[in-house]
Amino acid sequence: MLKTGVVQVIARGTDVAFVIDENAPFDVVAGELKDYLSKKSGLWSKGDITINVGQRMLARDELAKIKSIIETNSGLKVTRFWFAPESLDSGDLKIEAKPTTDGGPAKPAAHNEVVLPEQAPQTSAKSKSAVESIIESLKSRQNKNGARNRNITEALFIKSTFRSGETLHHQGDVVVLADVNPGAEIRADGDIVVFGSLKGWVHAGASGDNKAVIIALELPSPRFQIGKFLGVAPVTAHRQPKLSASGPQIAYVRSRSIHVAPFAGRFARYNKGVPYDG
Amino acid sequence: MTGRTIVITSGKGGVGKTTATANIGTGLAMRGHRVVVVDTDIGLRNLDVIMGLENRIVYDLVNVIEGTCKLSQAMIGDKHDYELYLIPAAQTRDKNSITPEQLREMCAELEKEFDYVLIDCPAGIEQGFKNATAAAQEAIIVTTPEVSAIRDADRIIGLLESSGLHRPKLIINRIDPEMVRRGDMMDQKDVESLLAIEVIGLVPADEQTIVAANRGIPVVHNTKSPAGGAFLRIASRVDGEDIPLMDLEPKNGLFSRFKGMVGMNGRAYSHA
Ligand SMILES: Nc1ncnc2c1ncn2[C@@H]1O[C@H](COP(=O)(O)OP(=O)(O)OP(=O)(O)O)[C@@H](O)[C@H]1O
Ligand SMILES: [Mg+2]
Repeated sequence: MLKTGVVQVIARGTDVAFVIDENAPFDVVAGELKDYLSKKSGLWSKGDITINVGQRMLARDELAKIKSIIETNSGLKVTRFWFAPESLDSGDLKIEAKPTTDGGPAKPAAHNEVVLPEQAPQTSAKSKSAVESIIESLKSRQNKNGARNRNITEALFIKSTFRSGETLHHQGDVVVLADVNPGAEIRADGDIVVFGSLKGWVHAGASGDNKAVIIALELPSPRFQIGKFLGVAPVTAHRQPKLSASGPQIAYVRSRSIHVAPFAGRFARYNKGVPYDG
Repeated sequence: MTGRTIVITSGKGGVGKTTATANIGTGLAMRGHRVVVVDTDIGLRNLDVIMGLENRIVYDLVNVIEGTCKLSQAMIGDKHDYELYLIPAAQTRDKNSITPEQLREMCAELEKEFDYVLIDCPAGIEQGFKNATAAAQEAIIVTTPEVSAIRDADRIIGLLESSGLHRPKLIINRIDPEMVRRGDMMDQKDVESLLAIEVIGLVPADEQTIVAANRGIPVVHNTKSPAGGAFLRIASRVDGEDIPLMDLEPKNGLFSRFKGMVGMNGRAYSHA
């Protein structure tokens, strides 16, 4: 194994891999790689190469730059990039069980609440850098292209049924790829999107953002909140379950009350919403 | 030998945990396994009564944990000719008399000797629940097709998952096929879609269950009874046999009448 600090070259028989330090800044990696290859150009005159990017997230142009450094400074051909995206779901999506601190005596079952860490849900430096670099690369690409400043946020993904008694407060958007069952509570400072049936209690824009929305494939939940407004399903929605089962729904605040309409895109104009005022 | 320790739990009381424990335990023993059932409902013991072993109790779970007696002294052999034993709960103590670690230790000891260790869990989510679930590697949740029982089951699934007991299985007990047919009771699909876990058995409401409990002979001994047959199939599924779930049919439903007409052997509630 040859070592140049941030770039390791591992040769196993006829296979060769370049392994790049996950934590080194991109410019350093690029520089090191160029140095190494120009010094040893004779060694790498021919062959295919795989690059292991590890847990870092590189923008497409960064990948292209690495490829071009290698191909212009040696006779090698980059055939494959290798990522280790596991860090994204194990690290970032971890829900930590810990005793609640604000639960009064009315909540004796504090031990089983699911509470997120106060800060952004980062459990390791590695996963933090992965998420941050995605966001940064997306943002910088936008700026470069002079694109309209879209909102790009760190959403929390929940990939299993959110059940009765489970509570969550996240300082951003929350996406649930399952049902939110009755008795479950989710508070998000941003939007809440449920790829399933939303039957529990949710509060979008929990820190006071009335522009937040709730989107769900099914929205049978009888009560939910956006910003400071409370939505209460009209009695007819209970009587006619079909009304709530007609495709994805969006709940939003309009003229100081919550309305629900069939979902037609995050920024569509919603004119014909059903007022959720009981 | 390393046996499997399975907790039978529900959240809501009275849905059939003890009935299920007695019947699945007996069913597994009928299939030739060495089985021990442990009643952890300290202060409200029932399992001994349902199994007809009440009169034989000398020592109990708390005695074992406190070291008053040896593990083997508290194990009461079943009346029938099976390798089935009961460790009864103490009646005069409370749930705080034992800790989760102590029960885990005891079950680890039992796993060396038995194929199955079944734990009858008390209702609720307090100390008794924590004791019972800490000792198990697998869980079976019992519910009835009622909204309140299902809410509690949902809560229990969340708690089990957060304590590392993943993929619990579900028994839906006391289903009344006639009410389901009329649309007055939730059916398997309704319950399944809400709880999103695997159903391992459907047990019809069957008065034979109550008669059997009063006699101290679990209904599974009567394999021809609707609930007895259902529990034997559940025991087989627990044991790894692949028996598909079938719809329960109403006693006087169209289908059984139709079967009667064409001369098929249509017994009421014939499967589950
Ligand atoms: N399938 C059934 N059909 C008819 N009766 C049933 C059925 N299953 C259980 N029962 C009856 O329901 C009652 C409660 O059952 P059981 O004692 O097993 O519930 P449990 O969940 O253990 O209750 P607890 O929470 O008090 O421990 C008993 O009288 C039992 O005989
Ligand atoms: Mg019981």
